[in-house]
Amino acid sequence: MKDRIKKSLKKAFISLAKITPMILAVIGLVGLFEAYVTPKMLQSLFNGSLIHDELIGIVAGAVSIGQPFLSYIIGGELLKDGVSYYAVTAFILSFVTLGVIQLPLQIEIFGKRFTTIVNVLSLIFSVIVSVATVWTLKVWGLI
Amino acid sequence: MGAYMKTGIIMLGLVILSYISLYFFGSDTIFVALKDSFKTLKELSFVFAVVFVMMFIIDMFIDDKKIAKYFDTKSGVKAYFIALIGGILSHGSSYAWYPLLQSLREKGIKDSLLVTFLYARSIKLPWLPMMIVYFGTGFTIILMFYIMVGSLLQGFIVKKLYEE
Repeated sequence: MKDRIKKSLKKAFISLAKITPMILAVIGLVGLFEAYVTPKMLQSLFNGSLIHDELIGIVAGAVSIGQPFLSYIIGGELLKDGVSYYAVTAFILSFVTLGVIQLPLQIEIFGKRFTTIVNVLSLIFSVIVSVATVWTLKVWGLI
Repeated sequence: MGAYMKTGIIMLGLVILSYISLYFFGSDTIFVALKDSFKTLKELSFVFAVVFVMMFIIDMFIDDKKIAKYFDTKSGVKAYFIALIGGILSHGSSYAWYPLLQSLREKGIKDSLLVTFLYARSIKLPWLPMMIVYFGTGFTIILMFYIMVGSLLQGFIVKKLYEE
């Protein structure tokens, strides 16, 4: 048991240590982003329309790479800057479930058919889940 | 050193270089950026401690290999729930999972179960504290609920369209 605890502690420490440089880099980028990108600039990209914001959020998430928590940091900062919940939720979902960069590897391992099914469904469900989440939050008065 | 750590170090180097360059270009805004970054780091330091504890607990009590084996043994609706729970509890990089999942497919596991499993993997238990800090408990719970529903629905869609 002692060995198991030691092993798990070591593994957790190594996992966190491995991602620390990326976390610090993203936090540094977020600082630059907050200082140089004004809410007005962001509003020109995300105009508040559901379809437009969803689309931008999904595309941005799909082409981004990295560990899922990065999408939480970026999405959280976008939200603080006034970007809509629709866009941010779609961004988080597509960041985690879609991966344009991973497509060649997925095709190689799973084949074209399965990869297409998984990614098309993920795309459709990024829209459905984000809209459902935001609507529920609105109906319940949480946002 | 893993590839992800290398990328992180390169990224961090580039960010530090950007800060230094902007400083030498005489931009005072750089101090605002630095202040914002430290503020974010301070806000998240507690979250990282919680993430560490969750990573430890998950590694201690959850065995990925057993998860993969277990959803192989059930059938019917139960199998989808097992795939869903397996996806939520599974950890580690997707790259590591792909070959294992493909070998399960070759052994006869249905694609619909794998679709459910893969979408459920978008719930990252150790990082939920960070999501709560940024978006609140309500948002996190509701989003997780819909992801779970979405995972099951995707499995059923694939079953209806391709397996019946």
